[in-house]
Amino acid sequence: MKSNMQHIRLIGLILGVVLVFASLVTIAQKGIAFGQDFTGGYVTVIDVPKSVTVDEMQLKLHQLGVDNARIDLQMDGSWRIFQTPSSTNDLKVKEWNSELNSQWHATVLDASYLGAQVGDELIEQGGLAGLFALLSVLLYLACRFEWRLAVSASIALFHDVVITLGLFSATQVEFDLTVLAALLAIIGYSLNDSIVVGDRVRELLFEERYKQAPVAKVIDQAIKDSLSRTLITSLTTLATVLSIWWLAGAGLSSFAMALCCGIAVGTLSSLAISATLPQFMGLSYNNYRKEESEATKKQLAEP
Amino acid sequence: MQNIEQLNSKHGMTTSSRFKKFFTAIIIVILIICATPNLYPNKNLIQVQASANNVLVVSVPELKNNLENEGFKVKKVISHQGGYLVELENRALTAEARAHIAALHNELNVKVISASTMPLWLEYTGLKPIKLGLDLDGGVLFVLKVDVEQAMLSQLQSVADEANSIRINNRYRHLSSPQVVNAQEVEIVATVQGKTELQALSTTLRDRYPHLSSNRKAHGSLTTLTLSFPEAKKIELHKQLMTQALSTLRSRIEELGITEAVTQRQGDNYIRIELPGVQDPDQAKRIIGATAKLSFHALQTAGGQRIKDKLGNVINIDPTAIFGGDEIESATAGRDEYGKPLVELFLSSSGGKKINHFSRQNVGKPMATVFAQYYVSTSGETKKHTEVISVATIQQVLNTRFSITNMQSMERAQELALLLRAGSLDAPITIVKEQTIGPSLGEKNIESGFKALALGLSITLLFMALWYRKLGVIAIISLLVNLVCLIGLMSLLPGVVLTLPGIAGLVLTIGMAVDTNVIIFERVRELRSKGATMVIALKQGYQQAMSSIVDANLTTMITALILLGIGYGPVKGFAITLALGIVTSIFAGVIVSGLLSESLYSQQRQGGK
Repeated sequence: MKSNMQHIRLIGLILGVVLVFASLVTIAQKGIAFGQDFTGGYVTVIDVPKSVTVDEMQLKLHQLGVDNARIDLQMDGSWRIFQTPSSTNDLKVKEWNSELNSQWHATVLDASYLGAQVGDELIEQGGLAGLFALLSVLLYLACRFEWRLAVSASIALFHDVVITLGLFSATQVEFDLTVLAALLAIIGYSLNDSIVVGDRVRELLFEERYKQAPVAKVIDQAIKDSLSRTLITSLTTLATVLSIWWLAGAGLSSFAMALCCGIAVGTLSSLAISATLPQFMGLSYNNYRKEESEATKKQLAEP
Repeated sequence: MQNIEQLNSKHGMTTSSRFKKFFTAIIIVILIICATPNLYPNKNLIQVQASANNVLVVSVPELKNNLENEGFKVKKVISHQGGYLVELENRALTAEARAHIAALHNELNVKVISASTMPLWLEYTGLKPIKLGLDLDGGVLFVLKVDVEQAMLSQLQSVADEANSIRINNRYRHLSSPQVVNAQEVEIVATVQGKTELQALSTTLRDRYPHLSSNRKAHGSLTTLTLSFPEAKKIELHKQLMTQALSTLRSRIEELGITEAVTQRQGDNYIRIELPGVQDPDQAKRIIGATAKLSFHALQTAGGQRIKDKLGNVINIDPTAIFGGDEIESATAGRDEYGKPLVELFLSSSGGKKINHFSRQNVGKPMATVFAQYYVSTSGETKKHTEVISVATIQQVLNTRFSITNMQSMERAQELALLLRAGSLDAPITIVKEQTIGPSLGEKNIESGFKALALGLSITLLFMALWYRKLGVIAIISLLVNLVCLIGLMSLLPGVVLTLPGIAGLVLTIGMAVDTNVIIFERVRELRSKGATMVIALKQGYQQAMSSIVDANLTTMITALILLGIGYGPVKGFAITLALGIVTSIFAGVIVSGLLSESLYSQQRQGGK
């Protein structure tokens, strides 16, 4: 039973490492498809009365001189065409819009343009927000936890964020401001899971019957104790996120995708990474002994 | 004896929790009342009134016919303050119908207004529904052009004025009056005898404007001095002017009380502003579009800049300001002892020093307050309008705090104070695009957002009921309390705007709020399996779970606050909902469900006896 649990955790850990590397490779190769929020450019949402496939649309747009555009068929049946500021200009966009109107009776639902400089400012700001969030969360962890647990929780955090970014790189779904918000929410969520498990580990280490037990066994028990909580919370949150994905419209689908991925890998990492790593770093009851000797005395004094 | 002790302790417990119960109930009731206005969303009406000095000639049937002929279905028309209020069947068409009426009757003043539909008693409380963002409620979009060229031109003009002033004061007779030519450079021509004068003027000017490049050319007997901005300086100035315009506009919008506004740079010279929920763009337009600049000047008897005051009298002022609008830290409108409107200014310490230094040497002399504003003329050109708004005699040595008296009206005073608070704008801005976004797309977004909320909520509630049975009922009640409290809190707090990502935050909050209950209930289950009675298990379960709950919410709070601080636009909406959701989750998950389970199980035990 015990070896079983440990095996699962080890497999999870290896899987996590593999996924992180795969994500990093994907990001390095394919990059991330930053949305208009970050790059600037032209977004045109059009409605085409007759049904066309993505390939047909691509061909048609190519004939109209639209190259290197990102073409998406949205859930409500409208087409979203995104062009970077360097690839086109105001006049050209108007030109193909009117061409498409006369040839396919397409109507423009929404057209927007954003300068490239705005994007640069936003990347700076977004990066700053991410960095700030990470730093304050690390600071919080350092105050809150024994260093082995804190380091493991941060690694789990890194794991969750990188894999989510990897998914966006692999699928080339646009990374916009709402995805950034989702990433920050994932940071909070992932940490929360790690802390609940970590707290259990600490609690059990103080219990008489686990004092002499190998730390792996203590961790197993902590995971078992908190498993139902972790699963229930993840499932209810996942259910709400999926309902956003399904019903809340095209504007929030990438946001929901990021959260969905983040919550799923966050749950796995809280079990396989943030709880497993401390074991290899030599976590034991003795780590707490000096720091909390008084608390220990009290515990020992109890019958 | 033991019985009495037990009774005592029990009595003590109930009084303390009665107190707690009372407060909890009060908070819930207040927040429920705050949430109720959301059941009565505002409706958009078209207000039709005769414009000034006109009589309302159009009749109700005529108005109705006009609209129905164009395919707008009119729900009802009521008379209101000498005009009419028109309500359409389809509120999404309101803005379109307004444009139609306005085009037909240009003698009318036609506006879209947002009217409350609340019952009278609720209206009386002054509560309002949550403000909706541009994506949910439509709103106004502005694109502004920042006229950097004009700003550079006006800087050159002040160099020319300054040069002219030096020329007159020093009696340089052999120099032409400095002129701005080609909107690029300042040109001064000297005759043969004027060479030394030109040299002296050039040196003085170079001292005052070190960043200007000067160039001297001789042709025939004349020498021409040209002053201009070097290319690098132009680029720097351009960047500086854009940054200033952005930050000033942001603070103006904040002064208007619109927090969800998006202010972004668009292209090289444009700024895009989205004002959600605003249906009548006129006030916003006046505040945002104004390029007001205030400066304080000494008077001159001859030369200098000639500026008219309200009555048309020409006043000569020293073109170099004692201090400008950027030294003003804060400004408030008020009234003096005679009830006349005034604007009270608070200067920065450097501004205070400047005015102190100047007023010390000039007690008894006049000082002019100059107000400059750009506007677009009927031919579409940007023009500068400069006016002396007051000439006051300096009565005493002035410091960082003083007032501009004799304002035209309280409204003018308030607007001037607002503009001064928001900071100065050196480059004129003009609105090049203005669009009132109808609420039809918003209605679709609200519908889909709330569908997602309903689905997420029902899955969660169903799961809790099936998994925890009786305890689940507590979770369900506390979740509903949580949702209502969150909506109440969002309606209560000013500046909270609900956007589509905000609804996502609401849905996510529901998903995560269960966590608090789950952590507690899992502890309770564990304690129960160890053989504790329900009452003890509940009590200890709440205690043991507290540290996990605090941690869980604190980590989310950290990220929510960072998002709130750095993000803007839709992300800010998400962050606000998330942060407020944490507060209500703790309230509902810990306090409300704690009290509920206490009363539920103690009643059951009594009933069991």
